Amino acid sequence: MTSNAVRAQVAAKWQDAFTRLNRAEPGITGLMSFSEAWTLVTTFLKPYDLNDPTPRTQYDMRDIRTAFDTINKARRLPVMLENFLEDLHKSEHLIAREVEVYMNLYESNSDTETIKALIFRLVEWYNAWKPTPELGYTIVAAYTLDFQTHLFSILPISFARGVKTLVAATLIGTPSQPSHQHDRALWQAFDTLSLIERYETLIASVGYEYIESHVLEICTGQWAEPMLGNLRSWMIDKIVPWMLWPFARGATNADEAKAMMQGVGSRFDFHMHKTLCDLRTREIFDIIVDFPDSIGALQDLKECLQRVDQRAELVQSIRRAIKKRLLHPGADTKDILLSYVSTIKCLRIVDPPGVLLFKVADPIRRYLRDRPDTIRCIVASLVGDGESGDSLVDDNEPVVPLQQQEIENYGDPDWTPEPIDAGPDFRASKTSDIISTIVSIYDSKDLFVKELQVLLAQRLLALKDGNVDRERRNIEILKIRFGESALQMCEVMLRDMTDSRRIDQHVQSQHATIMHPTIISRHFWPALETSGIVMPGQFKELQHQYAQGFSHFKPDKLLRWLPHLGRVHLELELEDRKVDADVPPLEAAFIELFSEKNTWTVDELMSRVGAVSRSATLKALATWVDMHVLKEDNESVFRLLSIAEESNSGTRPSAPRSATVQDELPPVMSIQQQQAEQMKVYWKFIEGMLTNLGALPLDRIQAMLKFAAGYDRTIEQLGSFMEAAKREGLVTTKDGLWKLGN
Amino acid sequence: MKVHVKHWSAVAQWRWNTGNNDQDDEGDVCGICRVPYEGCCPSCKMPGDDCPLIWGECSHIFHMHCLLKWLGTAPSKQQCPMDRRPWVTAERKIADTSNNPI
Repeated sequence: MTSNAVRAQVAAKWQDAFTRLNRAEPGITGLMSFSEAWTLVTTFLKPYDLNDPTPRTQYDMRDIRTAFDTINKARRLPVMLENFLEDLHKSEHLIAREVEVYMNLYESNSDTETIKALIFRLVEWYNAWKPTPELGYTIVAAYTLDFQTHLFSILPISFARGVKTLVAATLIGTPSQPSHQHDRALWQAFDTLSLIERYETLIASVGYEYIESHVLEICTGQWAEPMLGNLRSWMIDKIVPWMLWPFARGATNADEAKAMMQGVGSRFDFHMHKTLCDLRTREIFDIIVDFPDSIGALQDLKECLQRVDQRAELVQSIRRAIKKRLLHPGADTKDILLSYVSTIKCLRIVDPPGVLLFKVADPIRRYLRDRPDTIRCIVASLVGDGESGDSLVDDNEPVVPLQQQEIENYGDPDWTPEPIDAGPDFRASKTSDIISTIVSIYDSKDLFVKELQVLLAQRLLALKDGNVDRERRNIEILKIRFGESALQMCEVMLRDMTDSRRIDQHVQSQHATIMHPTIISRHFWPALETSGIVMPGQFKELQHQYAQGFSHFKPDKLLRWLPHLGRVHLELELEDRKVDADVPPLEAAFIELFSEKNTWTVDELMSRVGAVSRSATLKALATWVDMHVLKEDNESVFRLLSIAEESNSGTRPSAPRSATVQDELPPVMSIQQQQAEQMKVYWKFIEGMLTNLGALPLDRIQAMLKFAAGYDRTIEQLGSFMEAAKREGLVTTKDGLWKLGN
Repeated sequence: MKVHVKHWSAVAQWRWNTGNNDQDDEGDVCGICRVPYEGCCPSCKMPGDDCPLIWGECSHIFHMHCLLKWLGTAPSKQQCPMDRRPWVTAERKIADTSNNPI
């Protein structure tokens, strides 16, 4: 039983609801009109199937508006909204079905057009179901939110891929049109469906990828010109207009658009720099090799590095490439040096303070230090020995003295601290001079000077015309670099050359002879190999005559011949022919002997020319055999071919000899040989030490040798000497103790 | 067969004619500066005619600059530094180096 109170309450409520709906209309007409309005509006709003072929009822918007007013007055709008959303949910399967159809199609044909069609179709759905804006913002917002939430929940993953290709297509198409008419509709559709917000990162990634592929395509292997300018204008012409759609929609003026695009724009810009930087970092070794044709690339790299912090990667990349491609036994020392110089030049462009260079150069320098022929190579290049055009020294570079490490002057008003990424042992090299940098690979320049003397001696003795102008010029330049006093010996060598000519002129004027010797000052030339050749026959006579002429000119001086050095130009007058030859003295000595008799044994020949090794003898004889002047009839018996024989009628086919007639440099002892020679002196000390004191450790030997006058070897040098002695069986070593072998 | 020598670019070293004609010697040194005769005295840079030797009657030989410097000092008493006999330059030799300014 319901109580009266309850009943009254229900009646009051009812009355209340009735009055609200009836809006004080007479009778129930208000109620009736409300009911009509409700039906009208709900049918109007109800989502319908676009595929339904039955034509839609046309509504008079005035009716709708009146009906809406009615509902609003009855304060039934929220209920109506709920009702509408309820209807929306009920109809969502229509969209879902269609999305599925499209996506299935797309997955089978991967055609972006399908995605495009789907998006336009979705826009159609959206617009069809969208409540008229006159119904108020709330309802539209609620509708949009609901529609999108549902839409995103049903779109499969492959849709994202589709969107991506679609967006990419908008970039690849014809550019230059500021607002691509064709794409406008698409972007608007995107905007309508809020796809841009949802896929913002995706769209941005399309931008990144596009920039990346463009940079790689344009810049790979193109090092001659700086590319950044081009790329920047390309960004402005191509990327910025494209960005307007996704990232600056709704902007009303340029400034606003600029502000909206700033974030993503600077990310794109950064990405462009980073891509270029990565590319150049990968290519860096080839860029270095190509220098100076790759200056453009280096300038780009410098700018990129300021934008992108990739210095560590760059160092890694260079070090890796150098290790792999340069510092191996197959590479020529000269090439390594050239690459090193290029590296110096390149990195100076990229990083003027030299931090990168310092990090990169270290392995090269260490490697070069271990190569035996590095110094020779550097020196050869210093004196312009380069047979190819690749000289380490740029002729345009001013010649400056070698620069020593300076102690930092903190009182200098221009003093700057070391760069932030400098290592602890970084020394700011203020030197701009390449040669100073290269020479500083070694601790002392003495090694260079010594090697220079050897090289100069070789070249002076090999001179044919006696013209020393070139060498003099070289030495003058090197004097500036190494200092006057260091090259004193070279100076004497050059003067010996000019003096020799002067003396020769004088001697010739007294008594003309075909002998034109170079008279050198001992102690000022690098050690020359000695030989015990005694020149026979007319050569001895010539030597004697000349020496007399010399002593007549310089009464208190004598000449000591170095008979194995120099060249002799001969003409052999044989019975049927003349042979013209330019040969070393030993060859000349032998052929002179053949003018005495026609057949000689090797031993006979050797006994006539003083102390000559058998191998040197055979080599000299081989020279004549190759010229078809001599012939080896039997083992070690040579016969003069007074009458030419057919070369193929010989008793044995003449095996092709290595080019023995080639110009050989005069036998000047190399630095290593000289050092070994000097070490022999100390061997006596070591021998005595080990005899008297028994087994000794290396450092003890070193300490004792230091008492010897002029001993300047390091313990490492001593160690390698002892190793050599061990190989010869002179000493043995056990537990770090050296003792004499038996 | 005849061998005609057309041109011979030989190489030779010069030595001071000190009367020591041993082929293998390392070369004598000046008794004052201990530098080989064929080197140059400490104040010179160019060997040879620019830094000649001087022969004494006492048979001792020095770099001329070394000896002159020695004779210029008071304790020398104009004596040969090796044997303390009065220094007399061997005339024959000095005449031969007459093309030197000193």
